[in-house]
Amino acid sequence: MSSKNCGEDLRLDSLAIKSQNVTNTFSLNQKGISGILGDINNNQQNQFVALDNISFTILKGETIGLMGLNGSGKTTLLRIISSIYSPDSGTVNINGNIAPLLQIGTGFNPEFNASENIVQYGMLLGFSKSKIKSEIDNIIEFAELKKFKNLQLKNYSTGMRAKLGFATALQVNPDILLVDEVLSVGDEAFREKSFQAFLEFKKNHKTVILTTHSTKMISDLCDRVILLNEGKIVKIGTPDQVIPLYKIIVQEHKNSKRD
Amino acid sequence: MVSLPLISLWDKRSLILHFSWMNIKLRFKGTYLGLLWAALEPLFMFSILYVVFSTIRITSKEDFAIYLMVGVLLYHLFSRGTGLGLTSITQNAGILKSLRTNREIFPVIATGSTCLFLFVQIGVLFGLMPIFNFVPSWTIVLLPIVLGLFLVLVLGVNYLLSTLYVYVRDVQPIWNVLVYALLFVSPVLWRIDQVDGILLEIQKINPIGQIIELAHKIVVFGEVPPLNEWLYTTAFVFGILFFGYAVFQKCQVKIVVKI
Repeated sequence: MSSKNCGEDLRLDSLAIKSQNVTNTFSLNQKGISGILGDINNNQQNQFVALDNISFTILKGETIGLMGLNGSGKTTLLRIISSIYSPDSGTVNINGNIAPLLQIGTGFNPEFNASENIVQYGMLLGFSKSKIKSEIDNIIEFAELKKFKNLQLKNYSTGMRAKLGFATALQVNPDILLVDEVLSVGDEAFREKSFQAFLEFKKNHKTVILTTHSTKMISDLCDRVILLNEGKIVKIGTPDQVIPLYKIIVQEHKNSKRD
Repeated sequence: MVSLPLISLWDKRSLILHFSWMNIKLRFKGTYLGLLWAALEPLFMFSILYVVFSTIRITSKEDFAIYLMVGVLLYHLFSRGTGLGLTSITQNAGILKSLRTNREIFPVIATGSTCLFLFVQIGVLFGLMPIFNFVPSWTIVLLPIVLGLFLVLVLGVNYLLSTLYVYVRDVQPIWNVLVYALLFVSPVLWRIDQVDGILLEIQKINPIGQIIELAHKIVVFGEVPPLNEWLYTTAFVFGILFFGYAVFQKCQVKIVVKI
């Protein structure tokens, strides 16, 4: 109903993501025997609303920031956009292919080394084994991990793992890139490199959604920001409009903790 | 015969093969003997049981060694394969939570690893035959059918266990005990014609016991098992596969949230 959050006339081919009235709930008695019986019979009880009636439109070539306190629904929203979760109601339309949701340390097997992980991940993304093998060197080069190529990932630092994930995702050459908190751990040099990659993305009319708590990164990179609080959209707007609201929410949260 | 969604996995065969192989690699990673362990594990189990049971002369049959090895091999593989299957979804939580992928493949991969183990261990079986002066009769050509039924059973159990395990972690210790009991209630250490009462009753509802018995007939005794035995076991294992798959299918969207 109220999906025209941008308030613009949109032609369909310029759309990257359109979310309409997306609501997602988690049942609190998720596990145990009652959990599985509930899932099989499709009856859910004790629900917790993670996303409440979320509607927005994202255009191709936009870089969107996603802000909110921990637990406000950012990751859930990204997972719904990448169809890892399916929403209880509402629809998400995606125009283009999506890279895996980038989160630090997920999706890689800590027992394998970088090359093995790249092959495994690439194959899951639908590449043939030979194709992804030919890309290994490029990916490792970009991630600046040549020295650590044969090291098991469990011995990698958080930043190194983030780099590897980011480099692998770029190699997929996605139309839409979802980045969840990854950049905050990379070193300055790598952050610089990712900024360049984002700009390159933008130039090629591709879409990026990133979550971060860094207001600087938001104002440097993002065209628009979606601010979430307790599963609801508080505001969609330019960084200048949204960041003050975000700060208010953070402050309120601090105050409520103090009381 | 298999429901349609499973057939679509044929397109993913190179992915499944790769992951199945990596599973095995992971299992023996850091060991000196590597893949040789796949052969040695059942061989050690066989040796212990052979020394004990040929000493107390439960059986006078010359062919006891091969009889025992057939049972030990299938039992060991069942235990190993379902163990892998049980954790196949929870262990890949990182992948399932970071990219949209075909969830069905994970229990299949565990079964694929079982299949690779199977190839190694069938080699061990044939290697043992000359040592014990055993010459199989022509009926051994039926062995692939039995092994096919065996893999169908493992796949069905894996779908069921991996789903249940997401909800109820007690499934693992319960399953361990059950598998332990299977060693004694299946015709591994005794022959069907040596027992009666409860053991025969259990055999009727024990598909792995039935498969071991079919294998005994065609490998050790040179008999072609009667048609009704084939049909009963076939119906049984496919029943388990359909049931396990149906439970998985019902829950597959929801388990991603819960792992």
